[in-house]
Amino acid sequence: MIVPLNHILLLSGLLFSLGMFCTLARRNLIMMLLGIEIMLNAAAVAFVGASLHWQQMEGQAIVIFILAVAATEVSIGLAAILVVYRRTDSVDPDMDAALWEKGGSR
Amino acid sequence: MQPATPLPNSLIVTAAALLLPLLAFGVIMLATRSRHRLSAAISIGAAGLSLLAAVYLLVQHWQMQAPLIFQAVWMVSGQMTIPIGILLDPISLSMFAVVAAISFLVQVYSLGYMAGDPGFGRYYGCMSLFAWAMLTLTVSSSLLQIYIFWELVGLASYLLIGFWFDKFSASEAGKKAFVMTRTGDVAFLLGLVLLWLQLGTLDIPVLTNPATVGAQLSPGMITLTALLIFGGIVGKSAQFPLLTWLPDAMEGPTPVSALLHSATMVAAGVYLFSRLFGFFSLSPTAMAVCLTIGTISMLLASTMAMVARDIKQVWAYSTISQLGFMLMGLGAGSLFAGAFHLITHAGFKALLFLCAGVFIHHCGTNDMFEIGRQGGRRLKSAVVCTIIGAGALSGLPPLSGFFSKEMILGHLLDSGHPVAFLAAAVGAFLTTYYSFRLIFIILFPRDSGDAPPPESHDGHHHAGSEWPMTTVLWCLAGVTVVLGFFQTPLHDFLARAGTGFQAATPAHHSWLPVAACLLAAVAILQAWFEYGRKKARQIGWVEQIPFLADLFGQRWYLDRLYRYLLDTLVYRGVSRLFTANDRRVIDGALDGLGRSTIGLGRVIDWVHGGMIQYRLMIMVAAVIGLILFIGWGG
Amino acid sequence: MSILTLLFYAIALLIVVATAMAVTRRNMVHAVLYLVLSFFGTAMLFYLLGAPFLAALEIIIYAGAIMVLFLFLIMMIRLKTLPGMFFPVGQLLPAILISAGFLVVSSVMVGRNPAGWAPMPAAQASPLAFGVYLFQTHWLAVEIASMLLLVALVGAYVLGRRVRGPSADAREEAP
Repeated sequence: MIVPLNHILLLSGLLFSLGMFCTLARRNLIMMLLGIEIMLNAAAVAFVGASLHWQQMEGQAIVIFILAVAATEVSIGLAAILVVYRRTDSVDPDMDAALWEKGGSR
Repeated sequence: MQPATPLPNSLIVTAAALLLPLLAFGVIMLATRSRHRLSAAISIGAAGLSLLAAVYLLVQHWQMQAPLIFQAVWMVSGQMTIPIGILLDPISLSMFAVVAAISFLVQVYSLGYMAGDPGFGRYYGCMSLFAWAMLTLTVSSSLLQIYIFWELVGLASYLLIGFWFDKFSASEAGKKAFVMTRTGDVAFLLGLVLLWLQLGTLDIPVLTNPATVGAQLSPGMITLTALLIFGGIVGKSAQFPLLTWLPDAMEGPTPVSALLHSATMVAAGVYLFSRLFGFFSLSPTAMAVCLTIGTISMLLASTMAMVARDIKQVWAYSTISQLGFMLMGLGAGSLFAGAFHLITHAGFKALLFLCAGVFIHHCGTNDMFEIGRQGGRRLKSAVVCTIIGAGALSGLPPLSGFFSKEMILGHLLDSGHPVAFLAAAVGAFLTTYYSFRLIFIILFPRDSGDAPPPESHDGHHHAGSEWPMTTVLWCLAGVTVVLGFFQTPLHDFLARAGTGFQAATPAHHSWLPVAACLLAAVAILQAWFEYGRKKARQIGWVEQIPFLADLFGQRWYLDRLYRYLLDTLVYRGVSRLFTANDRRVIDGALDGLGRSTIGLGRVIDWVHGGMIQYRLMIMVAAVIGLILFIGWGG
Repeated sequence: MSILTLLFYAIALLIVVATAMAVTRRNMVHAVLYLVLSFFGTAMLFYLLGAPFLAALEIIIYAGAIMVLFLFLIMMIRLKTLPGMFFPVGQLLPAILISAGFLVVSSVMVGRNPAGWAPMPAAQASPLAFGVYLFQTHWLAVEIASMLLLVALVGAYVLGRRVRGPSADAREEAP
């Protein structure tokens, strides 16, 4: 006997909100991406717990795909951040200020 | 109307008489405006046929015992029906005949007077419009219908006063006339609405029946509505204080002045009073007010006529004065006296105006001194007819004016208003004085030359078109002479008008005619002394007092008063309020709407654009809301 | 209350603390490293919940590839700490509010399910069984996922190419 499903879901919710906080409150594109990773991970935890609750392997299959999507998204996202950094010399999500300093157009 | 039976003759005849001028107006204005002779023929033909119809109706119904009413329902609105109809009774028939006759005569006269004017067709179109409106007004069966045609008559007056519209003073005069009469009509409309609310109907027979009205309306309400309707009469008949539009209305052609502003349109006010005599006599206050205003107007206008130099203005002031005199008669309680004087006045005042028209047509100027100097006395017909007309106006026997004036003076004496009687006597004196002043100035000019007359008023001068004018003059002169002897038949005819008519004739004061004639003789002598003698300086005793001369000349400064009131009350008071409202409230609201839209756009721009994290926050908040909705609401 | 339950709570505590530390570090490298620790904890959690294969994959892919990718980029960008405000004022309060709001709402929603409060029996999905299941039932999704990875590969390459023109590094080297 292990824990009830709700405990796992509560853990997942807590992790998700931490990830959301990281995304929303850091003025840094890389940290935003990190927050998204945390959120995806929290979803994976929830899926695994549900899979155990209903004794199906569906949940675990979905986690495989979450992993694949996370990988894809991180690689593209980081490449995009790199492009932005090369244009504006900063990873500030406030594009207006960054472009203004560099002298680029909106 | 009973649709099953065939239409009565009277209805057909009356309807034809009313619709023919309207048809003439339409045809002329739409089709034949450029064809002068054709337009004149159409208009005069319609007027002539209306006159024949009027005479026929008068003869047919001379012995009528009860009024004939033909009514149909025009509009229905909920519980209220608005009727349209024709009321034929002695009062309306006599007025109908008068209007038709004078319309016809004046239109014939205009053949000569207006010949060569480029607006000839338009003139006859407007004349037909006026004829239609005035004729229908006289035979209207309900007060609302009277009001509608009252306004239409005002429209015709505006069109005709401003006939020579490229002359600035003429168009201004038209506007002034319309606005001033309209001001009176506001009161009329208020009274009308009040009556309708209280009584539920505006039919004239109902209104003049003291039983029904007295039962349903309180005396205070009767007085209020009577006074309000009297306001309309004050405007239309140019009584004090709305009298300054009539002298300015002389800017129109002289036949127009003869028709509208002496005999018919301004008489519509007095006619309305006599129409509603039964209603007005229920309220002693209204009768007293009528008497007072009539007295004031009579005296005021007479004083203004004493110093006037323009021949038409003298007769205009005289019209105001005589209308006041009629109102005095009516206000003193005698329907017949007022109505009779209305009829005789129509005759001789039109005559006087048309004679003035002949003078103006020949001498090209309105100034009576100029006319005299240019040999106006050589126009024999005009001079003789002017003397006849002035005599009637002054009340000299055996002309028609003598009889009607006697009636009113007698009634004033009997009715227990000694002040009014004295005022009427003074007014009669002044009337005679200024009429004969005019005659003597024309007959005996100072430094008269035989200078040829300059360009006449319209720039064209046809020496040949004389016969329409002189023929009409002699017709009217004849009427003036004989009408007085029809007093008794007319009295009996109008006595059959039924309710509201006081059949009692006053006791004849035998000293009254003698006294009146003596008064007139004194006035003529004074005028002769000042203007007619060989050595007279042609300066009246009033003109020698500068203060009085200014006062009378400036129309007792009434125009100045109105200008002042307009400036302070309207321009500086109300206009400012409305301008502020316009700028701050209406424009401000619209600008505020625009500004708030832009502000809203800025807010939405902030929500949609800007830094990505704010957008994310809003997105997450929306998702949380969605979760709540699905979980608890939905 | 078995050993597995205690283990669960311990691992949960580790994960939460590590994630919280990761979120609040100013130094990005430190943040990434804390997150790697958090992923180790998640892997242990997966093993506990009966998914050993997933636990392995979590470490290999998530902690091993993705986080390392982050580190690569951080090194390339040469900005270890950002100047200026750590937590900008205008964002901190709304972010806290929204996160807390989400937490509350989701907790309440989760708690309404009465069946979820019963303890679950332990189970283990053997990798063989899991693999058979995955490739039998979800073979199409696997193919599509591999296509997705190919797209990511090409896209990352295209985005990362150095275009002719001034770049941050080039300018830094110029005098």
